[in-house]
Order: sequence, then structure tokens, then C-alpha cells
Amino acid sequence: MVSATKFDVIVIGGGHAGTEAALAAARSGASTLLVTQNIETLGQMSCNPAIGGIGKSHLVKEIDALGGVMALAADYAGIHFRVLNRRKGPAVRATRAQADRQLYRAYIRRTLENQPNLKIFQQSVDDLIVQDERVTGVVTDMGLRFAATSIVLTVGTFLGGIIHVGMDKRQGGRAGDAASNRLADRLRELPFSVGRLKTGTPPRIDGNTVDFSFLEEQPGDEPRPVMSYLSSNKDHPRQVSCFITHTNENTHDLIRAGLDRSPLYTGKIDGVGPRYCPSIEDKIVRFDDKSSHQIFIEPEGLDTVEIYPNGISTSLPFDVQQQFVRSIKGFEVAHITRPGYAIEYDFFEPRDLKNSLETRHLSGLYFAGQINGTTGYEEAAAQGLIAGINAARAARGDDAWCPRRNEAYMGVLVDDLITMGTTEPYRMFTSRAEYRLILRQDNADRRLTEQGRKLGLVDEVRWRRYCEKRDAISSHAQILNETYVHPGDTAIEAVLGQEISREYSLIELLKRPKVTVDSLIQAARLPFVNKEVNEQIEIDCKYEGYISRQQEEIDRIAAQQEMRIPDVIEYRSIRGLSNEVCEKLETVRPGTIGQAGRISGVTPVAVSLLLIYLKKQDFSAVGKKQGRSRSLKSA
Amino acid sequence: MSDQPPVFKDTIAARATPSGKGGIGVIRVSGDRVPIICRAITGSLPKPRFASYTSFLDADGSVIDKGLAIYFVEPASFTGEPVLELQGHGGPVVMAMLLDRCVQLGARIAAPGEFTERAFLNNKIDLSQAEAIADLIDSASSAAAKSAVRSMQGEFSGLVRALTEKLTSLRIYVEAAIDFPEEEIDFLADEKVEGMLDSILAEFDKVTRKATQGALLREGVSLVLAGRPNAGKSSLMNVLTGKDLSIVTEIAGTTRDVIDDYIHLDGLPLRLIDTAGLRTPGDVIEREGVRRAQNEIKNADRVLLIVDCFSTKGEIKHKVGELLGEVSSEIPVTVVLNKIDLNPDWQQELEDIPDNWIPVSAKTGEGIDQLREHLKQALGYVVVEEGTFLARARHLDALARARESVETGRQRLIIEKAGELLAEELKLSQQALGEITGIVTSDDLLGRIFSSFCIGK
Repeated sequence: MVSATKFDVIVIGGGHAGTEAALAAARSGASTLLVTQNIETLGQMSCNPAIGGIGKSHLVKEIDALGGVMALAADYAGIHFRVLNRRKGPAVRATRAQADRQLYRAYIRRTLENQPNLKIFQQSVDDLIVQDERVTGVVTDMGLRFAATSIVLTVGTFLGGIIHVGMDKRQGGRAGDAASNRLADRLRELPFSVGRLKTGTPPRIDGNTVDFSFLEEQPGDEPRPVMSYLSSNKDHPRQVSCFITHTNENTHDLIRAGLDRSPLYTGKIDGVGPRYCPSIEDKIVRFDDKSSHQIFIEPEGLDTVEIYPNGISTSLPFDVQQQFVRSIKGFEVAHITRPGYAIEYDFFEPRDLKNSLETRHLSGLYFAGQINGTTGYEEAAAQGLIAGINAARAARGDDAWCPRRNEAYMGVLVDDLITMGTTEPYRMFTSRAEYRLILRQDNADRRLTEQGRKLGLVDEVRWRRYCEKRDAISSHAQILNETYVHPGDTAIEAVLGQEISREYSLIELLKRPKVTVDSLIQAARLPFVNKEVNEQIEIDCKYEGYISRQQEEIDRIAAQQEMRIPDVIEYRSIRGLSNEVCEKLETVRPGTIGQAGRISGVTPVAVSLLLIYLKKQDFSAVGKKQGRSRSLKSA
Repeated sequence: MSDQPPVFKDTIAARATPSGKGGIGVIRVSGDRVPIICRAITGSLPKPRFASYTSFLDADGSVIDKGLAIYFVEPASFTGEPVLELQGHGGPVVMAMLLDRCVQLGARIAAPGEFTERAFLNNKIDLSQAEAIADLIDSASSAAAKSAVRSMQGEFSGLVRALTEKLTSLRIYVEAAIDFPEEEIDFLADEKVEGMLDSILAEFDKVTRKATQGALLREGVSLVLAGRPNAGKSSLMNVLTGKDLSIVTEIAGTTRDVIDDYIHLDGLPLRLIDTAGLRTPGDVIEREGVRRAQNEIKNADRVLLIVDCFSTKGEIKHKVGELLGEVSSEIPVTVVLNKIDLNPDWQQELEDIPDNWIPVSAKTGEGIDQLREHLKQALGYVVVEEGTFLARARHLDALARARESVETGRQRLIIEKAGELLAEELKLSQQALGEITGIVTSDDLLGRIFSSFCIGK
């Protein structure tokens, strides 16, 4: 049976990538269908109940700046908020929220249900309809067929998912959910290169069986931060604390004793796990000299006693899990509510993607999330948004859009994936961003909201809020620049801790180390009360030298970076390129000169040769068209 | 394509004439900053395409050199960009100072073949030449790599690599502290980082000293003639430069270059520095010259200690011992026992002398061949080619920038507690060092962080 309606975009999967993809497509005006195995698990947090963190809240705020849902949901569901790196400077500051899983799911579902242009349908997708290397629709397990111009696949760990607990393994997409095996088999028939990755979770514990009285309590931060540019912390529900405990030598001995039944150490797991999120058995084997590892006890929600002991992800047999958990302080009589497990799943070589996240092999098909080898809700959601908007744009015949590396962490994420690929689950870190001082969580709106508005992603409310903030920043900055203070101004001199010998503008004084904008505003009795605006002025001022240097670099290489490399280029015919460089270029097939230069092993000389070759091709092309060569014309 | 703006935005500078070739040297500058650089160095923007005779000014307004300046506006120039050519006297110090000045004013030192590459990409060179240019860039870069390797013989590149490694280790800590703040490795709050920064800065100073003054980066091996007045330094100089040995290059031209003569000793380039040639410093340029000369002497490859066997008759060995005491024990010495023609008993007096004591007569030429053989053996380990001039300028520039970044980063951390700015400066520093070693690492810092620390919850 074929559905009568043809959609612009069909999104397969209702996780973090799928929901942002469906919402972005629908927001921008595309008729969209979200197909999920289970409507109840839309917006499910399969791993730890936290949103944000270093590098990750940067992504969340970018999604927010582009009208996405993740930040708003985190504010609605957040029961504990912290600012990380508070003392290290604004560029690397990050926000993390512990979320109540139920509230989070509820918010996501409500948003999806109320989004115009978006329909939701519960079915498992078994096949893609392909005509002439182009996808045209999907087939569900009941044999229903839906037609669409673009299809976004966001199936997470469900493709060929295998769950391991000790030597026991079974198929599954997540504890309690089925894997999508028929779709996986089908995709394996298509010309994609498939790899295996692995990730894991810790056992969950009944909080009523935990003795918190001796554990270190970690309350949320005050003043309490927010995720969304639209939120205030009045939107947050009741707040609770996290706790910290540690493993000990006894824990480690129990784990060592169970290694002979570990699927990781007996060769049962082929997938590569993330180095920054190792299982507890991995930590103990690799860092033998550490006698203790930290465990963050995260609350699962307000209406549940379940806790998530972050730091002891494991695939050891259940009896070993029970023993070692009970050796940990506070967990002496702990009851495990859900065993920890490792999951292996398929991912597709992301170097086969364009920067729109469309696959090269099948036009109209987009991949987002863990299927591309990433990990993390935020990474998935960011890709979902990009795939969703591009799927919608393609359906309308518009050009693809992707932010550049100097515009957004999203740009870094996509460029890293399609240029370097990945061999372990890819997670965002601030050290991946060469323009880290520009890409801050505090200015994602200033970087992206105008673009989002043009893309049709940003609604009226958000746009007005942004414009007010933008205008206030420039007018207040101008006033600070034009307000002069004079020797003898005791209020100002008190702020500076020294006398001034000539007149200064407030901006000049703000450039001095340790002088804050708030103290100057107060001393000069200026009526600037918007903290967000003041903060932007201060950061702009303190980072000015660095930002203008990075900006110069960006401008300098911009023209070259953006020079397009045609899809049909034959690298082997370029004189001087070594075989090694040719192979790398053939694997990645960079879209621009800039991307080519970022491929590891492609030297500056190789880039020069490539530039000259392109220039020469251009000469010939123009020459053919006009019947004479460019050089003659210019001579 | 012709409507596109030029592909390159930054300004490049390089010496356009090979080093050590006669009395004229040309510095070529290309890019958007040319008008600014031209005004700063010549005091005005001359009429395009006309050569004007002018002074070349340093930052403090003093005259580096005088010569011709020619300014070309875009696109009517070699590269299609604004171009400035400064034609001066060509001595290495003057050229280095002029190039330094251009870099101060915002240019960077050009990569091999870069002017030609720009010319091509800006439609200044015909299509038929494209292949040739590709080849040129290819070979120019390998030649530069070769000369860089030569100019950085062994020790220097080893030192830079060691420095890069130290910097990387520090970056691992700093980046880990930023990306994993909850992992109990908050290194930035610790005072240890200051210690590491100080030790890296000291290392920079050591390497810079060696690279600037030492025997590692230079065009020719430096020999210093030292000795008491009247020991015969000048006549020995004459006999070395004028008679059996051919003078290849004479860089006498200007008053600021302290190098008296370049000679080739069977293909081994030597530069003879006569200590008597040092003048009382006059203007700023001369002071600079004298400062550089003194550095050369302190760090010469070898000192030729000239002793007069006639006036010290009967106590030659004693006198030599005395003089040797005045020379740093770290610098290899050849003792040249001059004027043997005036001391008929020299053979008896100089029995059992060490191998590095060479009896000669500058007047009769006796012993000069032996001296030459001795020098060839003692100095033959360093062979340096033309082309190292630019490599060297690039290296020193990069080294200076790398050091400055570490210093700034240190300030940022200590005064402002800005760990992220320290991280930024360390990254810039490592990039600058990468320009020297040619290793453009695809930053595998994360990998090193994961293998060094137990990260992750």
C-alpha cells in the first residue's frame, strides 16, 4: 500500500538527531513525516540523563540559536545545572544540566506534536525505495510505502545492534528496544562502507538502597545557568543534588577477577569504544596504577529513585557487576535495577557524506547521529538539524547549507567527520575547534541566529529577542567607548585600584586585566542592567586582540578555502601529487580547497599543486567556452 | 575567474637575489600591505614603476641602507598584487635587517616559489607555463627543504624538535584541564605550569642563542683571527685571502657588515673575521654591526690564535699558554705560530707541539699549505649552501614568534588567570615551530590526552 501523500522529507528515527531533523525540516516549511518504532520513546535519553558539558553545551546553544528544541527541553526538564570551567575564561565555559528523563521526553513529544507541517507515525522502517541511485521513499514492516523527496536516516545504535552483558549477547537497539536488522541488512547491500563501534552504560541503581550520608554532595550552581537564549531559570523544575563516590582497590580486584568473562577482554566485541569514555574494566586495565576512580551519581528524575552511577559503564557479567558495585562506598547494599551493558552497532563511513550530510552514493538520502560514528545527544541533535534543513532545502531545490569551522562547532563537527572520518565514537571537545575563542557558548546566537532566520528556522519571538540583544550590545558598547572618565574620579579609581593620570574611555579601561564591565558600569552610574549584554561587551573587549587575529586569518584564507573542487576531478592526472596524497584525496573527495588542506598528510605543496591544476582547468574551460584562452584575454 | 579577488590576502617578502652574490641585494614584497610597508621604510609612496633613490628606514627612523625603491600597483606587477622592490647593498646584515623590518610591518617570509605561484594564480603568467610552475614549486620546496636541513644541521633541528615536544607535553596538560575539568587534573590552578613555562622559555633562549650566533645556522664557517697587536693578523689574513686561496665573494661594500671576507677553501666556504676590524661604535647601524660581530666571535666555529714567534722567542710555549687562557675553552682553537722566518731556532723550541699548533710564515708562505690542510680537516664537517639565507631568516622569525607566544601566554595565565588564552598562545607557538621543522601535525593532542590520563566517566 502506498500512502497518498508524498512528503518533502521523511525522517526515520525519533532520537535526538531525528527529532531535531524533523523539527528543522518542518520549521523551514517542508511537509515532514517522522517515522519511529515507538512514539513513547521519542526524545529518549538512552545513556546518562545529562545534556551539555564541555564542547557539548556549545552545540546545544548553537542548535538553540537555530531554533532547535534541545536547549528548551533541557531547561524544562533540568533538575541540576552547573557551569563548567567557570574560572578558565568564557570561551571554554560550558553548561551542563541533569535532566529528568520523563520531563525531557514529554517536552520533546509535545513540541513534535505541535509543530506545523510535521506528522508522526509509529512503524519500523524495513527498506528504502531506490530509483536510479536516488531514494524516493520508505517501506515499513507492515509493507506500507511512503514517498518523499528527501529521507533522513537517524537510527542511532539500532542498525545491527548487539547488546553484551558478560558472555551473553543478544540483538537489540537499546535495552528494551529491538534492533533494526532488516534495514541494516538492506543498507549493507547498498554501496556504503560499514564499520562497527561500541559504547556502553553502567548498571542503574535503586536510590533507596544507596547510603548518601557519607557521600560528597554536589549541589547545582547558583546563580543557576540556563541552556536556551529564550529561557530564564524560572522555567526550571525543582532542583536536586548530584553526589560523588569512588571505586577502591577492592572494587578493582573484583573487576580483575571477572575479566575472563568480559566480552571486551575475551574478543567477543569487535567494535571500537570511545577512549574518553572507557568502561570501568578498561580504566582498571589501562591505568593500573590508579587506586581509585571517581563516580558521579546522577539522579534519573524527580519522580523516580533510580540513579545513574556515571563512571562505571561495564559489560561484565551481572554477578560481577553486583559484587563490584557493592564494594563501593555508599553502595554497600545497592540494588541494581538495570544491568550495565555494552552495545555494538553499525556506523557508516562519514567520509562518504557531503557537508549537507547527504550521502554520495544515494542522492536524497541523509544520515545524522550515531550512524555517522558520533556519540552524544548533542552531537546527534546538531547533525539532525543540519540534515533536516538540508533535506528540506533539497526538496525545494535550494542549495545546501552548513556552517563553516569558524562559525560553529556544528561546522567543526561536520567537517571533521567528512574530512577525517572516525575510528572511535566521535565526541566534541573544545580542543577540536581551532577558532575556539570565537566559538563560545555565550555568542552562539550572535554567530547563527541571523543565518537561522534566513533559513526559515527562527521564529518571530526568537528573532525579536535576538535583535534586541544585538542592538543593545552595539549601542551600549558605543556608549562605553564614548564615555570618558577623568583623573580624580574616585569611584573609577577605586575600581582600578589606582589613580588615573589622564582621561580614558571606559572601553580602554575595560581592556585592563581584572577590570570587569559590571564594576565600571556601576562606578560610572550607567543604567545598563542586562547581564547578558554586558557580558558580551566585556568578552568582546577582553578577547579583542585574539579575535581580530583569528578573523584576519579567516579572511586571509577565505577565498582559497571556499574554492570548489569539482566532483569529477581526477587526482591522478595532477602532476607532482604523490600516490599517497592522491589516495587520501580520492578517499575523502574534498569539496573545497580548504577541506583538502585539512586532510592529514595533504601538504601545503600538494594544495598549491591542486590550486594550480584547478586554475588551469578553469583556463581551459573558459577558453573552450569563449574560443580563446584566458591568458590571451588578460594579455 | 578573472573577476575573483586575488586568492591570497597576506603579504609576503623575500630576498630576490641569491645571497653572497656581489654588491646588490633586492628585497621583494608582495601583497596588500605593500603601501604601508613602503611608506614606513621609504617615507613615501613613490610614483609607480619609477625607481627612486631613497633611504631605507628602521623602526626608530635610523637609516638601514640607501638604495632604489620601486613600487608597482596591482595588477600591473609581477604577481598581480601591489609589489615593492628594495635594491640595497646586499650585505647579509643589511638584508636581514631590511627583511626583519618588512616582517615587523606585517609581511611574512615567502615560501619557496610563492611569488611565482601568486603570479600564476593572478593571471600574470601564461597557461603554457603552468606545468613549469608546478615543477618549480615542487623543486623549490624540495631545494628549500634541503637547504633547511643543511642550515639546521643535526643539533638545531634536534633542539627545535625537543622544544616542540616540551611544548606539546605542556599543551596536553592545558588542553586536558580545559576539556576535562572534572577529572581531578586541574593543572592550571597548580603552580607547576608556571615552572614548565619558565623552563620552556629558558629552552627557547638557549635555542635562539645557538641559532642566532652559533655555528648552526649560517652561510659559511666563521673563523676569528685573534692575537696581540703586531702578531701578524693582517698579513696572515692577506696570505689566506689573497694568495693561495681565491676570494669568491667580497662583502666589504658597507660599513655595517662586520664580515671581512668570504673565502672558499676547496669548496668549503669560510668567513674570516678580523677582530682588529672592530671599530668604535658610531651610529645605530654600526652599533648593531659591532654587536653582531661580538656575538660571532664569542660563538665562532674556531679561533685562529696568532702568536708572534719572534718577539716571544724562548718562551713561545709559555706565551701560548697565557693566550689560550684568555680564550673560552669551549671554542676550538688553532694556534698559528707566525713569523718563523724571523726565529731560526723555532724548530727546536717547538718540538712536540700539539697537532693544532701550526708554525707558519705569512711573509714567506712557509707552512700555509699545512695550515690550509689543517683547517679543512678541522672545519670540513660543516658545509652550507647558498639558499640558507632565507631559510635562516624564516627560522629565526618563526623561533622569535614561537617564543613570544609562550611569554604572552605566561602573562595571560599569571595576571589574568586566563587558561584558555594560554592554550591559544601555546597553539600559536607550536604552529610557529612547525614552520621550522616542516611538520604540520594534525594535532593529535586528544589522542595523547587519552593515553596520558584516565579520562571519562
